[in-house]
Amino acid sequence: MSLRRKISTLKLPHYKGTAGMAAVRMAVPKEVLLPMNMHSGQAAEPVVQVGDHVTVGQLIAREEGRNSAPVHASVSGTVKAIEPYAAGGRKTTAIRIESDGKMEKCPDLKIPQPTNLDEFLQCVRESGVVGLGGAAFPVWAKLAAAQKSHIQTVLINGAECEPFITSDHRVMLECGDLIEKGIALLKQFLQSEEYIIGIEKNKPDAIAQLTERFANDPAVKVMPLDSVYPQGAKQVLLYNATGKVVGPGQRLASLGVIIINVTSLVKTAEYFTTGMPLVERIVTVEGSAVKEPKNLIVPIGCSIRDLVEACGGLKEEPGKILYGGAMMGKTVDTLDASVLKATNAVVIMNRADAEKTKPSPCIHCGRCVAVCPLGLNPTAFARAMEMENEDARAALLQKEQVSLCMECGCCSYVCPAHRPLAENNSAARRFIRGWETAQKEKKEGGK
Amino acid sequence: MDNKPVMAAGPHIHSTDSSRRIMLDVIIALLPAAIAGVVLFGVQALWIILTCVVSAVVSEFLFNLVAKREQSVGDLSAVVTGLLLALNLSTSVPLWQCALGSIFAIVLVKCAFGGMGHNFANPAITARVFMLMAFTSTVAGGAAPRMVDAVSSATPLNLIGVEGAELPTLGQMFLGLRGGAIGETCILALLLGFAYLLVRRVIHWQTPVIFIATVFVCYLVAAGDFTVALYEVLAGGLVLGAVFMATDYTTTPITAEGRWLFALGCGLITFVIRRFCAYPEGVSYSILCMNILSPWLEKWTRRKPLGGV
Repeated sequence: MSLRRKISTLKLPHYKGTAGMAAVRMAVPKEVLLPMNMHSGQAAEPVVQVGDHVTVGQLIAREEGRNSAPVHASVSGTVKAIEPYAAGGRKTTAIRIESDGKMEKCPDLKIPQPTNLDEFLQCVRESGVVGLGGAAFPVWAKLAAAQKSHIQTVLINGAECEPFITSDHRVMLECGDLIEKGIALLKQFLQSEEYIIGIEKNKPDAIAQLTERFANDPAVKVMPLDSVYPQGAKQVLLYNATGKVVGPGQRLASLGVIIINVTSLVKTAEYFTTGMPLVERIVTVEGSAVKEPKNLIVPIGCSIRDLVEACGGLKEEPGKILYGGAMMGKTVDTLDASVLKATNAVVIMNRADAEKTKPSPCIHCGRCVAVCPLGLNPTAFARAMEMENEDARAALLQKEQVSLCMECGCCSYVCPAHRPLAENNSAARRFIRGWETAQKEKKEGGK
Repeated sequence: MDNKPVMAAGPHIHSTDSSRRIMLDVIIALLPAAIAGVVLFGVQALWIILTCVVSAVVSEFLFNLVAKREQSVGDLSAVVTGLLLALNLSTSVPLWQCALGSIFAIVLVKCAFGGMGHNFANPAITARVFMLMAFTSTVAGGAAPRMVDAVSSATPLNLIGVEGAELPTLGQMFLGLRGGAIGETCILALLLGFAYLLVRRVIHWQTPVIFIATVFVCYLVAAGDFTVALYEVLAGGLVLGAVFMATDYTTTPITAEGRWLFALGCGLITFVIRRFCAYPEGVSYSILCMNILSPWLEKWTRRKPLGGV
């Protein structure tokens, strides 16, 4: 393994002060607001009406279209409204449920008993579990790759390389049984040979605990990984754990590998243990504006404001509110925004931390090139985006392969000139996607 | 006033690095050589350093004022340019020529191309080469250090091969007891600066080491003599150029492999000029040549990205 090139070398401050804090259950919120687009595919379709009484785990929106996922009531109570929702940027509808405080379980829930892969996938589909590390890609769609080709290796992602976040860490410490159950399910239905749990070395307790748990299972390997960012990114984890590389346009499954976040696996296993679909999760609440940072077990759809109250309130006005960690976290401008399925952390920074330094000219130091885990050249993308001629710009971006960029943000982080390189990379990716679509249409139009 | 939380793209934290801090580090790293220069060559060295630095900063300030550009003297890069130029000149150069060189470096080489990060060649080197041509008599010769009267004012590189010339010992060469430019003679001071830059991770060790090693090996092969090869390494502006000018970010390749080729090229050209050409010293020219080749080196050393073609 030491022969492999070190592809990610960035050591970040961890800010993982909540790592030692066991997850505590938050008081039942007064209401929850469940958006229909908590997954990466098409939005779900509400199946309840205003005024309906719902119970915990009850289906309130069915999956609709490609890579969609169902939504379940996370509290018991009354549907108050089905309303537009736009916090965080993507416009959708959301179901507002006023809680009756009873957290009454849906009586129709039963433990699924699949007998073959197709039935198993159907059950996973009904569990509503999506990629809970942030990607929010439906888990059943990921596992469905096993229908087409044999999956030899399942990589269980417990790297949690993002600063601030410790929710996966807590899951690994607190839900060992469910990890075991999850692996047993995959063994039964995917029949993969190898299960690698990749964990960064900054979580020695999780590594020790899981190593001991699987000591007698030769198929399961707990793999300690260097604490470098972005260790948990697909391409990086794959390379560091298996030495494999996904080529351009290639799918991970074609290499016989799938990567699943450890919390996603646990939530899937939970459904097969209790019959309860995804309605709650652990969220790390951290940041310089938060009085008492905590790991909370919360119903999905509760507001960030609820989290803040459970953490003793704010020290000062929020300067920046993040879904996720400090590197790839997405900003939202209101405390009324909902906790989503893939919300592994909410980081609230004070005004001073939220401020960015003004960029100065690029001094060509090469730090961005050296730090990029994929070996891309962000300065070339910046040069391209300054070009007036769109065809020339597209040509340079294609040559420099901007589409490989996973927007991990390492380049911006190290830039001594504080240039917004990662932001420019995203703009370049958007541009090239638009340009390629336009070229295709032009070609087809000409025929 | 808008009190809403900020909406912004990630990342939301940043390393403590800044361009200004890097420039400050280079200045700190140059201080031992500057101090050694003043000790060795006397107070005139100090005047030259001050003249170069002040005229560099003032000319950048005025250029920005006239061109209506955002003021940039705060980034300290003009100080670095002025200081580097001064350390590349000997005390035989009159102050007005020093000032002119500094202005040339800042206005024509740096600002005219768009300021920091946009110049194609190292301003200090280009200015020195310009001065070498414009004021050959004062710039080409060296001045003798004040505490050594036995050594002539000519730099050792001029003396090598001259029958009967008395050369300084290797130990004297290491401490800087020889003729030459203010900042180039005291190798000990330059190595201190090199170590500081490495510790602060401002530069990579490869560029200076490859540059110097190439010259050393070439001489070892050509002259077949270990002492001669070592002498060539300590003489002239090789260490100063290799540590402080061949490592300039803007005018060297952005890729690691490109920088190694850059250093190799510098070493080869320095050897060829010193050994076969009319000029006794080739460090400045070699770096200038490689500056121009730099974009190509960058192209040739483009890596295949992980998961790409």
